[in-house]
Amino acid sequence: MYSLLGGIFLGWSLGANDASNIFGTAVTSRMIKFWTAAFLASLFVVAGALISGQAGIETLKGLTSFSLNQAIVSSVAAALTVSVMTVLGLPVSTSQSVVGAILGIGIINSQINTAGLGKVFLCWVTTPLGGAVICFILYKVLAAVYNALKISVFGSDKLLKTGLIVSGSYGAYVLGANNVANVTAVFVGAGKLSVFSAALIGGLSIAFGILSYSRPVMETVGKKLVALDPFSALMVSLSVGMTIHIYTVIGVPVSSSQAVIGGVLGIGLVKGANTVSTQTLRNILLGWFFTPVVACIVAILITFGSYLEYVGP
Amino acid sequence: MFFKKENRVEELIYKYLDNLGIILESFQNAVMTCITTPACEEFDFLQDRTHRFESKADDIIDEVNNLMYGKVLIPDSREDIMTLLNALDHIPNNLEKVLFVIKYQQVEIPKGFEPQITDLIRISMESCELVIKQVGRFLRNETGIREILHTIDKNESQCDYIEYRLIERIFKSDMDPFMKLQFKELVTFMGDISDHADRVSKLVNILSLKRRV
Repeated sequence: MYSLLGGIFLGWSLGANDASNIFGTAVTSRMIKFWTAAFLASLFVVAGALISGQAGIETLKGLTSFSLNQAIVSSVAAALTVSVMTVLGLPVSTSQSVVGAILGIGIINSQINTAGLGKVFLCWVTTPLGGAVICFILYKVLAAVYNALKISVFGSDKLLKTGLIVSGSYGAYVLGANNVANVTAVFVGAGKLSVFSAALIGGLSIAFGILSYSRPVMETVGKKLVALDPFSALMVSLSVGMTIHIYTVIGVPVSSSQAVIGGVLGIGLVKGANTVSTQTLRNILLGWFFTPVVACIVAILITFGSYLEYVGP
Repeated sequence: MFFKKENRVEELIYKYLDNLGIILESFQNAVMTCITTPACEEFDFLQDRTHRFESKADDIIDEVNNLMYGKVLIPDSREDIMTLLNALDHIPNNLEKVLFVIKYQQVEIPKGFEPQITDLIRISMESCELVIKQVGRFLRNETGIREILHTIDKNESQCDYIEYRLIERIFKSDMDPFMKLQFKELVTFMGDISDHADRVSKLVNILSLKRRV
């Protein structure tokens, strides 16, 4: 059980951080209560992990084969990287951190699945791009339908509110399905857990993170999106869910933060406005580069550190 | 089961619009009574009636405010509705002020000024009724908001013209100087009615454009 603590910690931090990408807008603008959002997000994260989380777990465990100690090292390295990058204020992706750590262990084992890695890298690049394209198309199509329907002010209010709850729940479902692999896939690779128990433990630890610590993160991160009008916020929320869903089907864990940035960029394309500052874009590029590299180096350093022995005088 | 508070806000807003219609009717009757038979019981009754319905309008706004503080509606709709109601509420406040001046400052419409005052009130009331219609169209997301805006804008220009001519006539007349100032104040308050209606109408137009996606 103790050997799983690194993974559970990683799941907790993922839940605490990424719930804001799903329900942040709705909660910070008081469209729904925090506890309603947290309950729905937790429920759907666990459901997503259990029902659709296997593909991601298979992909990550296939990147390299680990011993149990190496699985623990990779979890701890990923969790440490996420913490350090968060402290540095860089947008951090748990998925990139986990893959970077797995890569570090793979380098030590001289055992890297280059085909699998290529697929993962490609998905990283296309996550924000996909988010932007999906959001752009969604906005154009649904805005035309919305305007044609001539819904009353109060009807539109109810529709948008319900839409945000439904899209948030959908987002939580696909977040659980997609990101559970980050949390416990290495333990499946190490033979410690079955795919089902990995999905269950991973899903529960993400849900625990959402319930225990997502509120302050949601209140900070969610405010970045409040500037969007409610319809655009709904389109971003839907596009995040759809983007992550696509990568869940492919079987590659991706960053929900990057999908959100992509969605907001998509709104900028529709409205011809700069919705994301160049500073944020520069930080994303830095995050893209540094997160996996730092996680890889940390995993290698921890592995070397674990071999050190005290030699008395 | 769901959206109980939202439904209550919707109900209250339509109630407010109905109430405003009653205030307009009561106010117009009061002013017409004042013109035909100044300082009569009928005027007092209608002034009191207008005041009671104005208080009811305030109560409705207070209830909507309380619901809004309870975070009912999404923030954008909340802001739109509150801005609209607060702008709209200047109309009954202004109507009450006109009747207040007539009653407590004991201002009477001098002989010869009645036709212009009647016109000013008639056109102003028409604008206010159009505003009620326009707000209803905005809430139901119906077309025709811009057409109403143009009519109200035209009415406002006409009211301004009547108001300035009235003020000019007041100061050219041989009325007692104190009466001149009292009557000028009343005319200014009457002229403000169509200004408020015009402001609300422009706001409704902006809100309807803003809500398009």
